[in-house]
Amino acid sequence: MSLSLAIARLLTAGALPAEERERLKALRFADAGHGFDAFGMHPDIVALGEVLLAPLYDRYFRVSSYGAAEAIPKEGPAVIAANHSGALPIDGAMLWLDVLRHTTPPRVARTVADHFVPMLPVIGTLFARGGMVGGSRGNARVLLEAGELLLIFPEGVPGIGKHFRDRYKLQDWRVGHVELAIRHGAPVVPVGVVGAEEQMPQIGRIPIQFAGAPFVPVTLTPLPMPVHYHLHYGAPIRTDLEYRPEHADDPAAVREAAARVKAAVQALLDKGLAERPGIFA
Amino acid sequence: MSRGVLVTGADTPIGERLVRTLLDDEHVGHVLAVGTRPMEEALPFANARRLTYLPVNLTRERRVRELLFGPARDLGIDVIVHTAMGRAAGEEGKAVHEANVNATRDLLALCERHPTIRTFVLRSYAEVYQVQADLPVLIGEDHPINLSPNAPQYVRDRVEADLHTCVHMGLSPLRILVLRCAEVLAPGTGSQLFDYLSSPICLRPMGYDPMLNLMSVRDAVAALQKAVHAREHGIFNVPGKDTLPLSLCIRKWGRPAIPVPGAWMTPLYRWRRQLRGHDFSYGMNRRRFHYSGVLDGRRASDILGYQPSHGIDWPVSG
Repeated sequence: MSLSLAIARLLTAGALPAEERERLKALRFADAGHGFDAFGMHPDIVALGEVLLAPLYDRYFRVSSYGAAEAIPKEGPAVIAANHSGALPIDGAMLWLDVLRHTTPPRVARTVADHFVPMLPVIGTLFARGGMVGGSRGNARVLLEAGELLLIFPEGVPGIGKHFRDRYKLQDWRVGHVELAIRHGAPVVPVGVVGAEEQMPQIGRIPIQFAGAPFVPVTLTPLPMPVHYHLHYGAPIRTDLEYRPEHADDPAAVREAAARVKAAVQALLDKGLAERPGIFA
Repeated sequence: MSRGVLVTGADTPIGERLVRTLLDDEHVGHVLAVGTRPMEEALPFANARRLTYLPVNLTRERRVRELLFGPARDLGIDVIVHTAMGRAAGEEGKAVHEANVNATRDLLALCERHPTIRTFVLRSYAEVYQVQADLPVLIGEDHPINLSPNAPQYVRDRVEADLHTCVHMGLSPLRILVLRCAEVLAPGTGSQLFDYLSSPICLRPMGYDPMLNLMSVRDAVAALQKAVHAREHGIFNVPGKDTLPLSLCIRKWGRPAIPVPGAWMTPLYRWRRQLRGHDFSYGMNRRRFHYSGVLDGRRASDILGYQPSHGIDWPVSG
């Protein structure tokens, strides 16, 4: 066993309750032969991810989750589509852990990241061990065909880099997630992430490439503030039942389905904003 | 119906094992093995019944014609498995290109007008594919090909031979199969990784640990044997049984892996190449030492019935 896996197991044994470790043993995982899947995911690093993210999830951002267990299919392909924000992809990490904790048997949300993320040293490898994949159509196709759960932010980089004044206004909503869902018979689970859009108010951006990212955000705070995260899951949009795979090549059908997902996410955001007592409360 | 099979590159580890396997195959009649070395040096079992070994320089078109329209026709050869390809990345030049590309072209052209040959199988390579961060990790047959003019001749020749053969698919009277095989981690196969792992310590770029797919000689031969009996034509990715991160690969080979800044890798391995005469070229492998690339073998499984079943015989377990 490698040193990193040994450390991961040691930390997991010390920090995760026995029942959670036992629950994670049922993790859905396509072992390619040496304990890793073909994309590099390893269940021990998934467990380590829970250990490392738990303090942020439980104490710093005090994440509240609504409707995850009912909305996320227990098995089979599915796409989670959420709003994206916050200058740093903490919303992705919180959603990843939320899905892991609220699915039985546990499922890993295979986060589809922008192309530059796998290019980042250490981070690219660590994220891949936790289930992230690069944002290519081929990766998404293979995972959906294997019955995996994808986590996609249709706003992409413009979402995470949105100005503070544009918080909770969904940016250009790309349609690739519904195209994939329709083609591969997967439902889309809309999620509204409330809180992340205020964690690091962005007031500008420096248009230079840094570590592969297309710009450097200028934020009011150097670190994320301890906002209260609220993750609202909506009822799945049954792109698997309401559309036929050939509709994936019909631009009008794809646009219509994407608009439905966008409207569902916006409605979840509006509901979440109306219900929350305050940004930090 | 038993098949007569001509195997080029029969004096290489894969070719030799393929010949042995075909001789044990009750559905194969005669095997015509072609290599470059004299018979007494090439196949230790060359006096086996149903086997003919001939040393032929495949870069000489006339010799190839004499082979095909002489012994091959007389023996009723109906399948040719072309595995002869330069194995050293360090060997470059016109003569190498002739052996890698022109020989394939001539062989294919002659087979197309041959009276008995009906199937042409090319053993191609995973190296023909691009590996990049923005491309899928799982490499299908429609994955982008590495057409960079800056690629080393080792890659360019493989791409040219592969694509030339693919162009004939469907247009030729032959049933053509191109098997893009994962890297065979074994001595004498031209494996870059085998040369890399032969060092007492293995350096790898800091912060990266990509997924690799490697295959054994047995699996490569099993896939080629399936192709001999195939009724379909096409391109097939042929993965091996071992899919693992680079760091684990190094450890299972019993070597310490030392991460160093990526910028150091090129000069360090260039010095190793120049001073110690090793064949491993970091420039050629730089991308796959950063980004994952694993062959997707579903097509080979569905159509050829090939499943990787023999893993690498790793020196270190665990």
